[in-house]
Amino acid sequence: MTVVLAPMRNRASYRLQIHLLLVPYGLALGLLVFAPMLYTLALSFTEYDIFSPPRWIALGNFTRLLSDSLFWTALGNSLWFALGTVLLRVAGALLLALALNRDGRAIEFARAVIYLPTIMPEVAYALVWLLILNPGYGPLNLALGAVGLPQFPWLQTEFTARLSLVVMSGFELGEGFVLLLAALQTIPHELFEASALDGASRAQTFRRVIWPLLVPSLLLLAFRDTALSFYDSFAPSVITTETGPYYATFFLPNYIFNKSFGLFQYGYGSAMTVCLYLVGLLLIALQYGALKRGQASDEL
Amino acid sequence: MLAALFVAACGTTTTAPAGATPAAPAALRGEITFLIGEDPNGFQAFKDLVTAFSKVQPGVKVTLNNVPDGGEFLKRLAADFAAKTAPDIFEINYRQFGQFAIKGALEPVDDYLARSKVVKTGDFYAAALEAFKFKGKQYCIPQNLSSLEVYYNKKLFAAANVPLPKNGWTWNDFLSAARALTKDTNGDGKPDQYGAGIAASTLRLAPFIWAHGGELVDDANKPTKLMIDSGPALEAFKWFVELQTKEHVVPSKADEATESSQSRFQHGTLAMFFQSRVVTPDLRQTIKDFDWDVAPLPGDKTTVSILHSDGYCLTSASKNKDAAWAFTEFANGSEGQKSIVTSGRTVPSLKSVAESPAFLNPAALPANGKVYLDMAPNIRRVPIMTTWLDIEDILNKEIKRAFYGDATVEEAAQAAIKGTADSFKQNLTDLGAP
Repeated sequence: MTVVLAPMRNRASYRLQIHLLLVPYGLALGLLVFAPMLYTLALSFTEYDIFSPPRWIALGNFTRLLSDSLFWTALGNSLWFALGTVLLRVAGALLLALALNRDGRAIEFARAVIYLPTIMPEVAYALVWLLILNPGYGPLNLALGAVGLPQFPWLQTEFTARLSLVVMSGFELGEGFVLLLAALQTIPHELFEASALDGASRAQTFRRVIWPLLVPSLLLLAFRDTALSFYDSFAPSVITTETGPYYATFFLPNYIFNKSFGLFQYGYGSAMTVCLYLVGLLLIALQYGALKRGQASDEL
Repeated sequence: MLAALFVAACGTTTTAPAGATPAAPAALRGEITFLIGEDPNGFQAFKDLVTAFSKVQPGVKVTLNNVPDGGEFLKRLAADFAAKTAPDIFEINYRQFGQFAIKGALEPVDDYLARSKVVKTGDFYAAALEAFKFKGKQYCIPQNLSSLEVYYNKKLFAAANVPLPKNGWTWNDFLSAARALTKDTNGDGKPDQYGAGIAASTLRLAPFIWAHGGELVDDANKPTKLMIDSGPALEAFKWFVELQTKEHVVPSKADEATESSQSRFQHGTLAMFFQSRVVTPDLRQTIKDFDWDVAPLPGDKTTVSILHSDGYCLTSASKNKDAAWAFTEFANGSEGQKSIVTSGRTVPSLKSVAESPAFLNPAALPANGKVYLDMAPNIRRVPIMTTWLDIEDILNKEIKRAFYGDATVEEAAQAAIKGTADSFKQNLTDLGAP
C-alpha cells in the first residue's frame, strides 16, 4: 500500500481526495445494496403482498421455513452449487493466472479468451451451453463419441445437470483471473531472485513466496464468488434445465422468486433471502478461518 | 414511419400516433398504459390494435409495454404494483388473475359491460367469459377461446397409409396412428420419426383425465386437493405416461432435449403435435414442404379439451378507467378482435368474429380451423384459485418425472398431492372459507 511518495503535508489532502472519490460508490452501494438488504430484513418479519401494508408476524416466516421441505431442497442445491463454483473458479483463476503471467502475443490472446465468457450476457451464455450440452447434436457429446467415450444426457439426469451448471459457472472466472494476475505482478521481482539464490525449487517458491502474498486476493475472490454464486444460479437454471430434472437444479433464488413474484408472498421470500445472506456469511467466515489458519501455519 | 421503425427496433414500447379520423362517439382524453407479455408475432398484433384504436379515440394515448418472458412479466407487474405505477390494463391468463383479484388489484367490469354499446355478454363464448369470473364478479374480458388440439402432418399420414384424424376419433385410434407413425428409418434401433409430441405438463394431462371421466381436483368451485391418485384420473394419468414409457410413440427425455417436439413437427419428423392455437403463426411461417391441419383431441368416455384464454384486466388503481375501458371494449369489439385475429395466433372470444372469414380464412392454414369452434361447448378449465400457479408448478414436476420414467405414476401422484396441500389450504384461507 505504498503507492504514493507524497510529502507529509500533502498527505491529508490526498487522503481526503481518495475519500471523496469513494463517495459516489459509497452512496450507490448504500442505496442499491445495503438499503434493500435492510428492507428485506425488515420484510422477513412480516406478511406482505404489495397490495396491502406489511403485517408484523415476528418469526412466523422463519418457523414456517423449518417445515418447508422444498426450502431445504433448494438450500441444499444452492450450497452444492456455491461450493462447486467457488472451488472451480478460484482454483481455475489461480492456475490460469500462474500459467499466463508472462509476455507474448499468444499469452495476450489467451487472456482475452479467458475473459470472454465473463462479459457475455447471462442469457446468451446459458443458450450457448444449452447447445454445447445438447444430448444428440451437442459438440461435447459428438466429441466424446468420436473418441469412443460414453455420451451423457448432461442436463437430463440429476447429478450431471447440477454438475453442468457448476462447470458453466466455473468458466466465468475472468474477473478473478485478472485480479490474481494483477496480484502476481505486484509481487516484487527481488523476492523471486532471492528465493532463486537460496536454491528454492519452483514448488517451494510458490508455497513460501507467492502463496502467502496471494492469500488476501484469494480471500477477496472466494468471498465475492460465494456471494455471487447464489445469485448466479438463477438464469442458467431457468434457461438450461428449467430447474429440473425434478428438483435437481431448483435453487433458493428460484424458490424465492416463485413465492415472491408468483404468489405475492414477499415476507416469506424475504425470510428466505435473509437465510441466504446468513448462509453466505457463514461460508465466508469458514473460508476466512481456513485460509487464515493455512497462512498462520505457513508462517511458523 | 421512421418513428415506427425506431419503436419496432427498440421492441419494448410503442405509442399510438394521433389519428386523423376522429369518429369517436364520446371523445376521451388522457394516457393509459397496457402491459402485455407477448412473442414478436403477438407484439406486432397488439401494436396494430393500438394504432387502430388511436383512429377511434385520438385523444387517448396508449403506451404499450411488452415484457415477453413469463417470469419477467410477473416481476415487472409486481414491481409496477409495488411502486404504485400499475398499468391501467394488463393481459393475463385466466390461470393467473385470481391472485390479483383477491387482493383487490383488479376493477370488476360487470357495470362497464352492462352499459357498453360495443360489446355484450352474450356476444362472447360463455366458456371464455366465465373463466374470468371470481367470487361472482366479472374481472377481465377474454380476448380468445383457444384450446388444446392436435396438429398433424398430412404427408406423414399419407406415406404410412394411416387414416387422418377426424371428429369423433378415439384414444385407440390415436394410439394406433401414433404407433404406425413412429419409425426407425435408418435402422439404428432408435426412432427417427415420432408418432406424437406432447408436453409432460398439467395443461396437457388434464383433458385426458376429464375425457376418461376423472377429475383433477375434488371440487371445482372449492377445491381442497388433487384427485389424481385413484380411479379414472389415475388410469388416464397412466395411459398418458405410457405413451412415453411403454409405447415410445413420443420422444424420450434425451430425444426431447435434443430436438423439441415442436421443432420435430416443423421439420416433418413428428406426425401429431399437441398444442393450442398459439403455435399457428410459427407453423405458418416455418412449414413449407408439407400440408398440415388441426384435429380435435381424441375422445374417450367423452371428448373434451382444455381452455387457453388471456384476458384484458383493468386495474383498480387506474386513474383513467373510462379510457382503459374504452380501449378494452374496442379491443374486444368486432373491429379490435378482427385486427388481432390477422396474426393467426388467437381464436376470437367473440362468436361473430370467430365465425367470420377473418378467422375461418379459407386461404390460410390450418384448413380445419373450425375445430376450435366446434370444440367450444366441450372446453373445460382448471379451477380459479389464488395459488393455482404454485400447484401447477409442483404438478408439472411430478408429471414430468413419471412421463420420463423416473418415478411410477402412483409415486408421482402421491408426491403431487402432498406437495400441493399447503397451496390448497392457502387458497381456502385467501377466500375466507371456514
